Amino acid sequence: MTATIPPTKTIAARAVQASKIYGTGDTAVHALDAIDVEFPSAEYTAIMGPSGSGKSTLLHCVAGLDSLTSGHVYLGDIDLSTLSDKDLTRVRRDRVGFVFQTFNLIPTLTAIENITLPIALAGSKPDQAWLDRIVDTVRLRDRLSHRPSELSGGQQQRVAVARALVTRPEIIFADEPTGNLDSRASAEILGFMQRAVQEFGQTIVMVTHDPISASYANRVVFLADGRIVDELRDPSADAVLGKMRKLGGE
Amino acid sequence: MWKVTFKGLAGHKLRFLLTGLAVILGVSFISGTLVLTATIQKTFDDLFADINRGTDAAVRAHEVFSDFGGAQRPNIPASLLAIVRQTPTVEAEVGNIQAFAQVVDKHGKPIGGNGPPTFGLGWDPNPKLNPFHLVVGDPPRADDQIVLDKHTADTGNFHVGDEVTVLTSRAPRKYKLVGIARFGTVDSLAGASITLFTPREMQRVANVKNQFSQISVVAKPGVSQTQVASDIARTLAAHGKSQYEVITGKALTKETQNTVHKALGFITTALLVFAFVALIVGMFIIYNTFSIVVAQRMREMALLRAIGATQRQVLGSVIGESVVVGLLASAIGVAAGVGLSIGLKGLMNALGFGIPGNGVVLRPIAVIVGLLVGSIVTIVSATIPARQAARVPPIAAMRAVALERPINRVRRVGIGGAIVALGIALLLSGLFGGRGLLFVGVGALLALVGVFVLSPLFARALARVIGGPLTRFRGIVGSLSRENAARNPRRTATTGAAVMIAVSLVGFITIFAASANASIGSAIDQQLKTDYIVTVKGSGGNPGLSGISPELAKRIAALPEVQSSTPIRFGEVAVAGSHTFVLAADPKEIAQMYDFGAVTGSITDLTPNGIAVSTRKASSKHLKLGDLVPVKYVKTGVVPLRVQFIYKNNGLVGDYMISLANYERNFAQQLDFQIFAKLKPGVSAAQGRKAIEPVVARYPNAQLKDNAQYKADQKSQVNQVLILVYVLLFLAVIIAFIGIVNTMTLSIYERTREIGLLRAVGASRRQVRSMVRWEATIIALFGTVLGLLMALFFAWAVVRALHDQGFTKFSAAPIRLVIIVVVTALATLLWASLPARRAAKLDVLRAIDQD
Repeated sequence: MTATIPPTKTIAARAVQASKIYGTGDTAVHALDAIDVEFPSAEYTAIMGPSGSGKSTLLHCVAGLDSLTSGHVYLGDIDLSTLSDKDLTRVRRDRVGFVFQTFNLIPTLTAIENITLPIALAGSKPDQAWLDRIVDTVRLRDRLSHRPSELSGGQQQRVAVARALVTRPEIIFADEPTGNLDSRASAEILGFMQRAVQEFGQTIVMVTHDPISASYANRVVFLADGRIVDELRDPSADAVLGKMRKLGGE
Repeated sequence: MWKVTFKGLAGHKLRFLLTGLAVILGVSFISGTLVLTATIQKTFDDLFADINRGTDAAVRAHEVFSDFGGAQRPNIPASLLAIVRQTPTVEAEVGNIQAFAQVVDKHGKPIGGNGPPTFGLGWDPNPKLNPFHLVVGDPPRADDQIVLDKHTADTGNFHVGDEVTVLTSRAPRKYKLVGIARFGTVDSLAGASITLFTPREMQRVANVKNQFSQISVVAKPGVSQTQVASDIARTLAAHGKSQYEVITGKALTKETQNTVHKALGFITTALLVFAFVALIVGMFIIYNTFSIVVAQRMREMALLRAIGATQRQVLGSVIGESVVVGLLASAIGVAAGVGLSIGLKGLMNALGFGIPGNGVVLRPIAVIVGLLVGSIVTIVSATIPARQAARVPPIAAMRAVALERPINRVRRVGIGGAIVALGIALLLSGLFGGRGLLFVGVGALLALVGVFVLSPLFARALARVIGGPLTRFRGIVGSLSRENAARNPRRTATTGAAVMIAVSLVGFITIFAASANASIGSAIDQQLKTDYIVTVKGSGGNPGLSGISPELAKRIAALPEVQSSTPIRFGEVAVAGSHTFVLAADPKEIAQMYDFGAVTGSITDLTPNGIAVSTRKASSKHLKLGDLVPVKYVKTGVVPLRVQFIYKNNGLVGDYMISLANYERNFAQQLDFQIFAKLKPGVSAAQGRKAIEPVVARYPNAQLKDNAQYKADQKSQVNQVLILVYVLLFLAVIIAFIGIVNTMTLSIYERTREIGLLRAVGASRRQVRSMVRWEATIIALFGTVLGLLMALFFAWAVVRALHDQGFTKFSAAPIRLVIIVVVTALATLLWASLPARRAAKLDVLRAIDQD
């Protein structure tokens, strides 16, 4: 099954016949099996699926962190499979934002330094008005000079979200961003991400296994055995849970 | 438990290679030194046994005093030869004398003189007693004929029939080369250049009449060496000549061998000191590696404890690793040392220090010492980290906490401060309390160790200061480097400590040499009133063994352009029982050319029966004007001299001076070390040079210098020593640098996730490389700054202590210190590209993937 989108929207990223195979011969594992998927701009997409379904691999490949065995991944108009490491790095730095489950921050840098890290790596200066708006959105104003070890887990993830937003990337990839947080901190983070989509028109792709997290998205794509098997628009947690049960997942 | 140990080693080959490298290099230095000196010793033992094989007994004067080159004895009268001959058991006897002689090559350049001695001997007609064997030609039969050793003949490209100019204490003379000889079985005696004259010509060039330094004897067949020796002694006693010494040929061989052993002993000790320094630097590297590895494996250790391993077992497993690493690395080091000694032997041969024979001598001691020292150093260095590993609580296995122990500031300040204080106390008592070199060395080492103990306290702050400029011109990458260097003060401190020790020694010798140059320069500028100075070419630092014929000084003095001039001679004496050097000059002449800084009396008061003494020695030996002081000469024995002049400026002339007349009376060999000359008023420097230069040109081992050239010459001699020490310290520096790479490699391993994250959010490979390289550089500069501060202190203290011996100026050599800093920074940037590359190559996905 192919995930479809309304034709009026522009596409931030898409995978075309994307395959990722680990190993060869009889032991070959198809982590991604000729997937076609599109992530429209200003949409919040959640990727769900049981363990081993290939959801993290899909995220890594679309984000330019991993390469495909065959097929293509486009970020905007750029075919990532044709890029050198240097160009891929530049794409990640300037056009993509990341939020990981853990270890999102450089321990030796303060919160504000972590937020502006991609800009500093590019050797440019942050747009102060935009930076202020992000910092206020994630409510970190009074924590900016603290180092990660002095921040709570929730605060650390907020810093990570702010860092992902700071370059106004075309797309943000989030890999289980609330996996290590309690429900209150999780709700906060997911709320911020939702606001980023609604208020700033940010595109977000998030891998999760939690139906409540997925319910914050505009759309949920379900993966199993390296293939897209289902899709939900404007999901509720219960609807997601129902689909997941059907897939025999958690 | 042993299984865990070996698995641990096998799993981390790289880091143990890096740890082992420090041991390998240090041990190879030790073993290489021992093998090389054993080889040289064996060569000389064989050589002297071979040379003296025909000699059954020898007659000579008793030893007056001994110096580094062996015993010093006066000559004996040639008339003893006839008395020895009367001994019934003597079959043959021959007298010989040795004196300075130097061959000039076909381009007018003197051969040798830069190390191995150049001298002349009389040709012994008795083949049993003559160590030389003719390769071609005939022995010298007329006084204008000579034979050369094969090495010298080859060097000068001389063939039988050639005319050869030879410099002696007489005016230079041309001789006909009639033969070329080998010394025993070799072309040359350790690079010495030897000219063989007829016995009569030898007496003339040695400036003696009917004197020998030794009489060699062959016994009649069937007579033992002991027998003939005691027979000769009896004959001598019967003629009232019992003051002479008779020894057997075997004893003579043993004695010559022992002289070589002693000289080699000094070299061995000097080299081993530098090997020791390298190993101390290595200890910090080993300690640091084991500390980091243990910290990284705390979880594993805790797990072992949790499943039932005792503290002792955990301790044993880490110590076990160190034993394996130590033994393996030491074994490789010993093998490398043997290779090194073969290379060094070749190098020495190429430089003209002939070491004949093939192969090297590998004594068990070289292997045992190498293995023992290498293993002990490794195991001792691993002890503290092993104890930390054993102390980890089992519960740590379940906790995902940072296992870095907090720094106990109070304890550290107490212990570190106490070690520094003790070190400085020892150092100062060694320097100013006359406790000697061992106190100075141990004191300096303790001071360094103390600073190392204290350094984690300020490592973070200092690393941030050093990295400060980086944040400005390297932006975020600079900040990351700076914060990484500061984040683990203990690690930065230990890695830096290795650099500190190496740099403190390099810095010390640099500042010390600069101070020596500044002191000499200021003494020449302020005290020397000469226009020209004639010096000996080559090292020229071999008073008594080489020098300029006194004929030259006479010719210069006779020049109409010259107002005053004096030869300067050096000799060994014992003043009031202590062995020292004495300088001789014409008092009236030198008075016009040197500012003595007179304290009491005048240099012109110095008579042939008097001595001038520096204020330093006058006060330490409680001498005042008019006192009689016993001076012992090799030739004439004890002569009482009256103190007639006391002076302050001893920088250029030393502590004792006698008149030229006194020198001529009391020394056998008359050779000038230098000649001072001052021009008449109105004679320009150019005119003076024009007049003196042609005269000097006839003495090829002499060279004319004005004061500026003389100063440059003195400085270049200091700088030569400086370079030699640099070369010897190079290994310690290399090991310190290995330590930096080692630390960086381990840190990168530890920060895999972090580097992956940086790459994910947009750091380029180049930026990651740059980050690692600059972190390494900050750590290296941390050690360099500490090392230079220590060097400044050490050098200042030593120069202060030597103030009375002519070290009047302290120069911090700021430009050279800046160069050291810059070179360290550049070398680290380059050298750290190894771990930097590793970091940049990390697979981003793998790095960030959750475990």
